[in-house]
Amino acid sequence: MPFLKLAVKNLLRHKIRSLLTLVGIATSVAVLFSIISFNRGFERGLAKELQRAGIHFMVVPSGCPHEVASLVLHGAVIPKFLDLNVFEKIKDISGIDLASPILVTQLPNPERGRVDLVYGMEMSHLKKLKPAWEIEGAIPETDDAVIIGSEIAGHDNIKIGDTIFYGKKPFKVSGILQKTGSQDDAFLYMPIKAVQEIMKKPDGATAIGVKVSDPELLTQITEELSMKIPGIQIVTMGQVMQSLASLASSAKILSLSIAIIAILISAVGVMNSILMAIFERTQEIGMMRAIGASKFDIFRIIIKETTMLTAAGGFVGIILSVIGSGIIEGFVRSFMPYVPSGRMISFELWLAGLCIFFSLLVGILSGLYPAWRASRINPIEAIKG
Amino acid sequence: MIELKDITKVYIRGSEEVNALRGINLNIQQGEFISVTGASGSGKTTLLHIIGCLDKPSNGIIKIDGIEVENMSESELVRIRRQKIGFVFQQFYLIPGLNVYENVTLPLLFNRRHKDKNDIASLLELVGLKERIHHNPNQLSGGEMQRVAIARALVNNPEILLADEPTGNLDTENSEKIFDLLKSLHKRGLTVIMITHNPELASRAEKTIKLKDGRLQP
Repeated sequence: MPFLKLAVKNLLRHKIRSLLTLVGIATSVAVLFSIISFNRGFERGLAKELQRAGIHFMVVPSGCPHEVASLVLHGAVIPKFLDLNVFEKIKDISGIDLASPILVTQLPNPERGRVDLVYGMEMSHLKKLKPAWEIEGAIPETDDAVIIGSEIAGHDNIKIGDTIFYGKKPFKVSGILQKTGSQDDAFLYMPIKAVQEIMKKPDGATAIGVKVSDPELLTQITEELSMKIPGIQIVTMGQVMQSLASLASSAKILSLSIAIIAILISAVGVMNSILMAIFERTQEIGMMRAIGASKFDIFRIIIKETTMLTAAGGFVGIILSVIGSGIIEGFVRSFMPYVPSGRMISFELWLAGLCIFFSLLVGILSGLYPAWRASRINPIEAIKG
Repeated sequence: MIELKDITKVYIRGSEEVNALRGINLNIQQGEFISVTGASGSGKTTLLHIIGCLDKPSNGIIKIDGIEVENMSESELVRIRRQKIGFVFQQFYLIPGLNVYENVTLPLLFNRRHKDKNDIASLLELVGLKERIHHNPNQLSGGEMQRVAIARALVNNPEILLADEPTGNLDTENSEKIFDLLKSLHKRGLTVIMITHNPELASRAEKTIKLKDGRLQP
């Protein structure tokens, strides 16, 4: 019979106690595994979402980069406009595949008693700007038609062919954007000319989305642009991603801290449970010393017990988090400032391995003190009877 | 085989000094069957622990197979316990989660030895428990548990079997059987030292030593 089997049999002698301790470890490892998975999924999702944005960089009036980040991803309303000539200048620079003005604003919708978020864009560029979109119906061909996000459609029960009024001007709903899972769902997409007209800002734009022909020349082009055109700021997708990642990082640190604290608490639980078992088994340990166990043998048995307990807990925890990933994802989403669309938690074998390794480590650490206590049990005292 | 010379043992209990042994001189030959008697607190168990290399004397010399052991390090003493000594206790001390086979083979684990299943089976046959090999301790009677403990003490083929009141928790019939078992082991050449409170059993040993207040009585 090897030491490991002895350790397992010892744990099985107190099934309920071992099980409860294991549940503690399993829960905290599940939280850790889910959070790390989520964070990794978050980064992947962000990168994917930016790829789907279809453009390489945005030209915006000088200002706060966070504003720009939210503009790119959610279409925030920036109360600043680009100069009329900027657009022309950008078009003159070689290597640019597409330059498309975007005008984001809020328009009152008295009919429904609220303010709608309106994203004005060149409808002919839509396929290039938002390559991942799936649209039910048609892309507007005239300036009196709009596309609405699925959230608006669902909320107000609007169908293709319905008419919406802004000011006195009627707009026909020509298409509905299918659910993207991102903030795009809450917008109304209008031909930019119509928005400019309503706002009385002919040729006005809050940003210009730019796609270059050769992404390798991106740096060169952005440098040229910022040199030639004053008063603008260029925000590449990489910068946007960094900016968002930094916004999310505090939430990440918080969530990781919670997981680490949970693991610490369960490690104390392991220590407590094994210490109790040792006190109950004092005579038995004394007997083992008498029949030839060295201090180190006793130490080993106890360390094996704690590591078996935490490794099993880690394993169960990973199974739990795979099963419950949907619930955990919903929970984490509720306090993250921005979450890309799509599922965040995916199973990665190496990460699961790492978490089990980590629980082994926790087992060794939480076993050190009990094992030391057990190895110091005086056999003569213990077997006195 | 075992030589004790002027062995004393003093230990501290609370604020008082207890003189457990006060100058023991004793020679035990290989193959002897010795019973140790005496009142509680007379030092019987301390003597047994010192012979079993579990405890160290405060003073004096103890030789086992001609080797002085009183100044040996803990790890050297562990090695002697593993190789030469088998312990049997009044309370049996079987591990509840392990079956008979696993309890008996436990010392092999500490001695880093492996024994064939057949060897264990014949050992269990020797102590009369061949049929109980896969039973758990809680399925055994007291007498059977003590037999398992004796088999466990024998599994490393020790030269000396030390039994601290092996029949103390057993009824007369089972006590008799355990005593007979020890006697048969002695006949096979094992040195047996047995502490007992039962004067009748003690008198049936080859030799009886009596302790009083840490001294040997004539």
